[in-house]
Formats: sequence, C-alpha cells, structure tokens
Amino acid sequence: MTFADILLTLLQGAGYTLLITVCCYATALVVGLAIAITREMTRAWVSSLLSVFVYVLRGIPMLVLLFIVFFGLPGIGVDVPPLLAMMLSLGLISGAYLSEVFRSSLGAVNPNEVLAAQSMGFTRFETLRLIKLPQMTRFSVPGMVNELTTVLKFSPFAYTVGIPEITKEAMALVATTMRGIEVYIAIGLLYFGIYRLLLVAVRLIEKRYAIPGFAQE
Amino acid sequence: MAILEVNNLVKSYGGKAILDGVSFALEEGEAKVIMGPSGCGKSTLLRCLNLLIEPTSGAILFEGQDVTRPGTDVRALRSRIGFVFQNFALYRHMSVLDNVALSLRKLKKIPRREAEERALHELDRMEMADKKDAYPAALSGGQSQRVAIARALAMDPRVLFFDEPTSALDPIMVREVVTLINRLYLDNVTILCVTHDLSLAKHISDRVVFLDRGKVHAEDNIESLLARDSDPVIDEFFCGDD
Repeated sequence: MTFADILLTLLQGAGYTLLITVCCYATALVVGLAIAITREMTRAWVSSLLSVFVYVLRGIPMLVLLFIVFFGLPGIGVDVPPLLAMMLSLGLISGAYLSEVFRSSLGAVNPNEVLAAQSMGFTRFETLRLIKLPQMTRFSVPGMVNELTTVLKFSPFAYTVGIPEITKEAMALVATTMRGIEVYIAIGLLYFGIYRLLLVAVRLIEKRYAIPGFAQE
Repeated sequence: MAILEVNNLVKSYGGKAILDGVSFALEEGEAKVIMGPSGCGKSTLLRCLNLLIEPTSGAILFEGQDVTRPGTDVRALRSRIGFVFQNFALYRHMSVLDNVALSLRKLKKIPRREAEERALHELDRMEMADKKDAYPAALSGGQSQRVAIARALAMDPRVLFFDEPTSALDPIMVREVVTLINRLYLDNVTILCVTHDLSLAKHISDRVVFLDRGKVHAEDNIESLLARDSDPVIDEFFCGDD
C-alpha cells in the first residue's frame, strides 16, 4: 500500500470530518449569536445568568460533555444520535467561546453611531440589526476563524461515539496495516488540507464583504 | 408659535442637578446657540430635548405638544429633529449614500430607489454627491460633517440640532463647516446649536442661551453678550477670544 493509497483510503472519512465541522460550527454560531444578542438586549440579571452558563461551558472538557450527552443521557431515557451529540457538546462549547468573541465585537462598535441611530428614531432592536450586527460580524472574523479551526481540531473526538471520520478510518487502517507513522502523517496532512480549504472559503467571504478602511479605523 | 419651548427643565443624576430649571424658546426659522463652560449641561440639554436622555422634570413643548408626557411617540419626535454630532457618527460599514438613505428607507419606508434619489439630492446640496460611493474612513473631518448634515436634512426635520459641530475639526475644516451651517441659517432652517466656537456663534445665531452650572445665566444676542464686561462668568468664558 503506497502513501497515496493511504491518503485515498483516509479521504473516505474526510466527508464526515467536514460534516461534523460544519454542523458543530453552525451550532456554535447560532448559540454564540443568541447568547451575545440576548446579553446585549436584556436586563442585567439575564446577562449575569448567561455569563455563568458561558463560564461553566468554557470550563468543561469537550470529551466529558460529549460522554455526558452520548453515554449519560440514554440513562434517563434520552437517546442522542452521534452527530447531534457532537453538536450538543462541541457546538455548545464553541458557541460559548464565540459568544465572548461577539460580545467584545459588539463593544467595539462606536457608541456615537448607536446614539446617532437612536437620535434618528431607530429602536434598540433596529439599531442592533442595522448598525451593530453588521459591524460586529466584521470585527469578529479573526475570532470566528480561530474557533472554526478549534472545531475542526476537536472533530476527531467524534470517533469515540462511532462516527467514521478521518481519525477513526486511520485507526482502522493502522490496525490492519501496522503502518502507524505513514497513516498518522497522512491524516495530519488531510486535516491541514481541510483547514486550508476552510480558511480560503472564509477569506473569500471576508474579502467579499470587506469595507475600505473599515478595519484600520 | 415657537417650534420648541422648554419650561423649567431639570435633569438630575443621583440628586445632583445637571440642568436646573432651564427655560427658553426656539421660534421657526430662528437659529439659537447654546454656549457655556464645559460641564454646564449643554449637551445634556440637547439630548433631553429629543428624549435621548429622560428629563427629571419640566416640560418640553415641541410644536405645542409636551413630549415629556407618557405616551409620546418618541420615534415620530426624533424623526422631526435632525441631530448632528460632534464626531459625525457616520455608520462606518455603509457608503456615504447609504448613510443618508438608511433612515428614509427604514423609518419613512420610502422605496430604495426614491430614498437614494432624495439622499443624493441632499448630498448634492452639501456638495458631497461625488463622494456618494465612498466610505466614511475615506472622508476628511469636514466632508464627514457635511455627510452628517445631509443625513440629518434628508429626514426633512422641523429643527436641526448641532452638538459641537466644529470641535473635532481643524481650523480650515471649521471655516468650511461654519460656512455651510451659515448657508442653512440663511435658508431659514431652524437651528439649535451647542458650541464653544465663537466664530460659529457669530455667524449663525440670532440669540445665544448662555448656560452656567445647569441654569440659564443669560439670553441675548452675541454682540450684547460680548459687551458684558462686568459679568464675571461671561467675561471669563469669552476671555482670550476675539
């Protein structure tokens, strides 16, 4: 079996790796945005409650939360499919981190612009939608890219709940070929390839929505 | 009838009165300047008038209606008052044209094309139509202030508020903006302007409301105020200016 054969065999798991990454990251975006917006728009006690939620999630190891969801919940009669378990663990934890990225980006919006919008007659919600969120998204790009790579790098934990992603394929291949070095170097290259692919996609989106002079202000 | 009448307006924070019984009136087509030392409550007063800050007590009659009463349509009130800020406060993620058209589209529900035509008209009035596709980061201070004024005028307000419109500008830009506001003044736009800038006050004001420690210390035309050598508060404020 050549190195190219190993790569091709492992590529069968790459689809699952991408699926896990995209699903978990989408969950993280929704959770992160929901937390950041709720903290921005509601009363202080709700924000405090959510900050505790974020604090706890950021402190739990991803694998522990995954096991709680996948192996723990069936004990109380709730069966969670593997991909959903990944979304409820990796997605939630990443969402907690992203909510902090979004929160600091919301804080970076010039308060005078917010005041100007309100002085025109825009409500708080309209100001959020029209002024704050578009700027927040652009300010958040570096943090969002960072979190995307984290989600990708944590995706191998999916093998522990039986999803045949790259790492699981690699382990099976090592067991049959005993060529650990080549196989693990090959999955390293594959992860790097996927990382570059996602990064190029993000940079294209960033470029598409870039505003002249915006980041330099 | 006065467009705006302020009666005994009070704004307190933690028992400390920032505005302490301020009263004055603004007639249609009049330009009035609010001056006074730093911390005397000028900007707070302006923000109280369109309810960006809730007054503690007193009455604000806008076109005869007391807007401090519960049930006031704040959105309708604010859309009739144009507000130009010291730091321009242009939306950085939008082009110049979108900055001006946004309120027309979203608040007045005017279709995009018509809103952009009106926005372009206001930009043209401010000699900024050629910059319609530029973003705020590419504009000078004077150009930014022109766009901010166009944005306020686009809503066809009954009165235009300026909050220190020249204080963030260099002397050349100040002259440019003073000329511009003076043109609005000559066009009979009703103006209420908070400023430290004596040249601006000289150019645009019918009368000056001089605030000191939250109270109206004097209300007069600028020449008469400047002639009050015996008034220590006013003399100290204008000391050193021409």
